[in-house]
Amino acid sequence: MDAAIQIIITGLTLGAMYALASVGLALTYGTMGMFNMAHGMFMTIGAYASYSLSSAFGAPLPLALVAGICAGAISGSLLHLLIVRFMLHTEDFQTTIMVATAGVAIALQDLILKRYGAYPFKQPAQIEGSFRLAGTAISYQSIVIVAMAALLIGALAWLLTYTKFGLAIRATAMNQDAAKLMGVRTERTYLQVIVIAGVLASAAGILISSLAGLSPAMGTDPLIRAFIICVVAGLGSVTGAGLAAIMMGLFEAAISYYIGARFGLPVMLGLVVLILIFRPAGLFGRMEVVRS
Amino acid sequence: MSQLSEIQRHLVAAVLFIAAMATLPYFVSERYLLGQIIVFMLWASVATQWNVLTGHAGVFSLGQMLFFSVGSYTVGMAGTYLGTSPWISMPVGAVLSAVAALLIGIACLRLASAYVALLTFAIVFMVQALIVTDPNCFTNNGGVCLPLFGGGNGFSGFADFGFRKLLKGDWIVGNYFVILASLTLSLFASIIVIHGRLGLAFRALNDSQLYAASRGLNRTRFRVTVFVITAFFTGLSGSVYAAHFRFAGPSLFEMPTLVLILAMVIVGGLRSTWGPILGAAAMMVLVEIAKGMGDVRNTAVGVVLVLFVLLFPKGIAGAAGRTLRMFRAQRSAERPEIAERRFDATKTEIAR
Repeated sequence: MDAAIQIIITGLTLGAMYALASVGLALTYGTMGMFNMAHGMFMTIGAYASYSLSSAFGAPLPLALVAGICAGAISGSLLHLLIVRFMLHTEDFQTTIMVATAGVAIALQDLILKRYGAYPFKQPAQIEGSFRLAGTAISYQSIVIVAMAALLIGALAWLLTYTKFGLAIRATAMNQDAAKLMGVRTERTYLQVIVIAGVLASAAGILISSLAGLSPAMGTDPLIRAFIICVVAGLGSVTGAGLAAIMMGLFEAAISYYIGARFGLPVMLGLVVLILIFRPAGLFGRMEVVRS
Repeated sequence: MSQLSEIQRHLVAAVLFIAAMATLPYFVSERYLLGQIIVFMLWASVATQWNVLTGHAGVFSLGQMLFFSVGSYTVGMAGTYLGTSPWISMPVGAVLSAVAALLIGIACLRLASAYVALLTFAIVFMVQALIVTDPNCFTNNGGVCLPLFGGGNGFSGFADFGFRKLLKGDWIVGNYFVILASLTLSLFASIIVIHGRLGLAFRALNDSQLYAASRGLNRTRFRVTVFVITAFFTGLSGSVYAAHFRFAGPSLFEMPTLVLILAMVIVGGLRSTWGPILGAAAMMVLVEIAKGMGDVRNTAVGVVLVLFVLLFPKGIAGAAGRTLRMFRAQRSAERPEIAERRFDATKTEIAR
């Protein structure tokens, strides 16, 4: 029983972080067919921004959090304005954008390495303490992580379902040309989508760094997991990515508990390949979302 | 020249290129420079294969360094555990890479290209993580724990080609020619694939997938075939790399290495035949300059990659081809009777 509670708590915490990391990725792919290899850098930038603010200026926790998220939003909009905007209508956009964002990712990672050094830091924006539930210690930290992920993803879901702004995004995702004909400014929608992805990813980065610490390469591991989650869900399926992330988190926690932490990712990946052999469009993907 | 077919012209050019490379050690005596040329040849071979796969077959794989590493690790492990000479383990490494590619290809290549990229990337990352985090010792070499796959440090100091005994101070020239031989194989294979029947199939599939499929071309089977072929030569380069540097370790899987070689392909020109060679040379020079400016290597590679994608999506080869065509068009404007023939020739060239 203890083990089960422990696994569920760890799994939900992991799943919440994975969901934050992958929903933005799924949204950008679904809306504009862009797979962002620099998505992991949004996480790193968010984490380092809130670290810098709270360690250098002693800013209180909420302020550091907001600053990190703003940094994510700013880097998202810069990525769009400086690079993505010019590539939208080129041929092979899907491939070339991955190449370009991979270039951005290693350049940024190198710059962060030069500025902060390779030595991992502890994220100062932390919440101490824990309480006990049915004999299992639950840290306030993981409660905050789950709550914050739920808040942000809830807000995104509300935006996408109930606002005109969300309607424009969904319309663009369904059919760019038709959306344009209906008066949606698709170029602006793309910018908004990347900013949203930056916000979610930087929040994920801050939360992840509060558990695992800061390092220039910290974005790689969650990025790979986000890739796998998006692939399982079916590329571009936003709700699917959220659900798949929670499933993956629980699953990984169980595997780490019973087999060992180093087999979490390999077993997940093996499972994904199996799923794809039988469902090439992913668990939640519709065939027409991505042509295989 | 006009009687030669497309493929023959490229093969002649390849022979000339290789011959020129073979004379280099007689002019270059500085060991550092020779070492850098060796690195250039190794990466040029990997980039050439990657271009065949991504530029021509349309398989956007991010797993090329995995196949490279399979070759390297085969030589490293055989040398460390069995004391095998790389002359025996190199072909084995190439074959093992091809087998790995066959397995991954069957599992992944039916999917859309974004899925292929993500899955291959994830597989490489997973293999690296498994190797680095292996806590169990396989052997204890003088109190030093060595996991089965080398752990975080990898393998080093195993047997090389054996030129140190044979050629004494000039051993690096011996290594140079072995690596040149592997580049030669890789280059010839790429030309035969691109301009041969397989390449024709990919052009047909690119032009119209439906029509090609209805004429009986099996897309997945062609993609798996080319995946295996390119992995074989990538693995061969990897095993030669291991035997030259006497090193095989998890640093081969790192993201900067992958992006550097990707940059070679893109800067040189995706979809060309000779682009990756040009790109490899250009990136080697860039890395050398960046090293001199205080190790801004990865930043420079990233920035150049982004600039090329934005400004010269067809790479150096594409830009050179365009200038050449403009030049030819100018000349043929002066002599109209040749213009017709030239134009036809350039048209087929563009189609390539």
